Amino acid sequence: MPFLEFSNVDYSYPSGDNDYIQALRAVSLSVERGEFVALVGCNGSGKSTFARLANGLLLPDGGAVTVDGMNTADKSKLYDIRKKIGVVFQNPDNQMVTTIVEDDVAFGPENLGLPPNEIRERVDWALDCVGMREYATSGPFRLSGGQKQRVAIAGVLAIKPELMILDEATGMLDPDGRKEVLNVVKKLNREENMAVVMITHFMEEAAEADRIIILERGAVVANGGKELFQSPEIFTHAGLDLPVYVRVAQKLKAGGIDIGCPLSVDEFVAAAKGALGKKEGGA
Amino acid sequence: MIDVKNLSFVYSPKTPFTTQALYDINLQIETGDFFGIIGSTGAGKSTLVSHFNALTRVQKNSGTVLVDDIDLSAKKIDLKKLRAKVGMVFQYPEHQLFDDTVEKDVMFGPKNLGLPVEEQKERARQAIELVGLDFNEIAQRSPFELSGGQKRRVALAGVLAMRPEILVLDEPTAGLDPVGKRDIMQLVVHAKEMCPTVVMISHNMDEIAEYCNKIAVLNRGRVMGVFSPRELFGSEELLFKCGVELPLVTELAVRLYNNGIDIDRTVLTEDELVRELMKVGGHA
Repeated sequence: MPFLEFSNVDYSYPSGDNDYIQALRAVSLSVERGEFVALVGCNGSGKSTFARLANGLLLPDGGAVTVDGMNTADKSKLYDIRKKIGVVFQNPDNQMVTTIVEDDVAFGPENLGLPPNEIRERVDWALDCVGMREYATSGPFRLSGGQKQRVAIAGVLAIKPELMILDEATGMLDPDGRKEVLNVVKKLNREENMAVVMITHFMEEAAEADRIIILERGAVVANGGKELFQSPEIFTHAGLDLPVYVRVAQKLKAGGIDIGCPLSVDEFVAAAKGALGKKEGGA
Repeated sequence: MIDVKNLSFVYSPKTPFTTQALYDINLQIETGDFFGIIGSTGAGKSTLVSHFNALTRVQKNSGTVLVDDIDLSAKKIDLKKLRAKVGMVFQYPEHQLFDDTVEKDVMFGPKNLGLPVEEQKERARQAIELVGLDFNEIAQRSPFELSGGQKRRVALAGVLAMRPEILVLDEPTAGLDPVGKRDIMQLVVHAKEMCPTVVMISHNMDEIAEYCNKIAVLNRGRVMGVFSPRELFGSEELLFKCGVELPLVTELAVRLYNNGIDIDRTVLTEDELVRELMKVGGHA
């Protein structure tokens, strides 16, 4: 049984008078325990609606969402569902609930009813993970946008969910900060088997996932491994870019140099060395 | 132009929560610049630019900021004149839309300038068209039923309707998809024909490298220096010292160079990298 399962999910929200926008149509997809999935699609494709349905913030109009076998429509299970799925949203200002950073991070573990020493441990650990320990006793409103976002991520980490959904949660971080947070998430995925769904506009990040799901106007149009990048038209059709490595490789191919479809700096360098030859021993 | 001299800034001075956000900042932004400001989160970028339209006031004995002939460290500032001159687009500007129609929302700025209604309307129409939206189709709709990308354009139109001479953008493409990012940057380039000076905060080094002619690097409230893109991204020493990441294409070029592929490692765009690689491959 998949950990998170969407079966034929429809969702629409009201827009103006008597009008509805269908945000998701007949979406079926699943996420297994320990998986690292990238969810991509242009603005308005339904990605954030997916995140809100996954932990029962929204309920489907049609179809069903289950988390570890529990239906999100079953109110008595919501508490357990939210212990298992943590969502970090795009705008950190909407996610702060207290006036001190460490209290904010402690909010989740406190609600889990953990003993105080364990809460302390988790808060320190989570703040270390995002590099914000030195701000533990600051007020969140005094932090910069990117710093607040790190605190919001720490708040979810402290719950130690089995699945973490990052809804463009690194969008406002500087490149270094983004790498740091991603490394933490990857490490938790690898070492603690925490499943991750990363909703992102950075195709270079998506290329690192085990599986990529593409949403286009509320429907799943592709769902597969890295081989998806071999078919660039799927991405361009969905209004998406390809990772920069793939774009450069394509332009080279058009010019007569074929280095295949590299998905990272390392793959690109290796392929380019093979195709262009290592001249005069190199540096 | 904007002339910042010895600017410091402290949040909550004389309280236990006091934090110094800026230390002795000096920089000049000249007419015609596409001026980039980069630095990690919490470096003071937003605090610095919020001085430019006096949203944040220069504190006592904490330096000066001149915007053309307006002294922002003076006790009394002609705010109307200043805010007509400096247009500010904040992070996620779509969160600041408030009126019940797009047209009224965009007219808000010109209205505050005290312009006659006809002029307000005319400016709103021009600004909405400038950001690539169909005026007739969108003017009477509620800004809240638009898509994310459209909302951001409307927010930008609201600032452009003031016809500023200096446009300050705080992470204008954050949270947009790749196509939306490109659209907004195209629009900024287009707006720059009308509004000659652009100041842009961004974490996206690819955008910084492609569009800016000068880049100020901030680190923990201090200016590490002001550089041209090639100066900054071409010097490993500077990058390391300033803690700046390379644009992805430049990073790729450096890695290729270090692996014995003899190319110019200071390329700043995809096409430059492709050209360099084609040369090495004998296809130039």
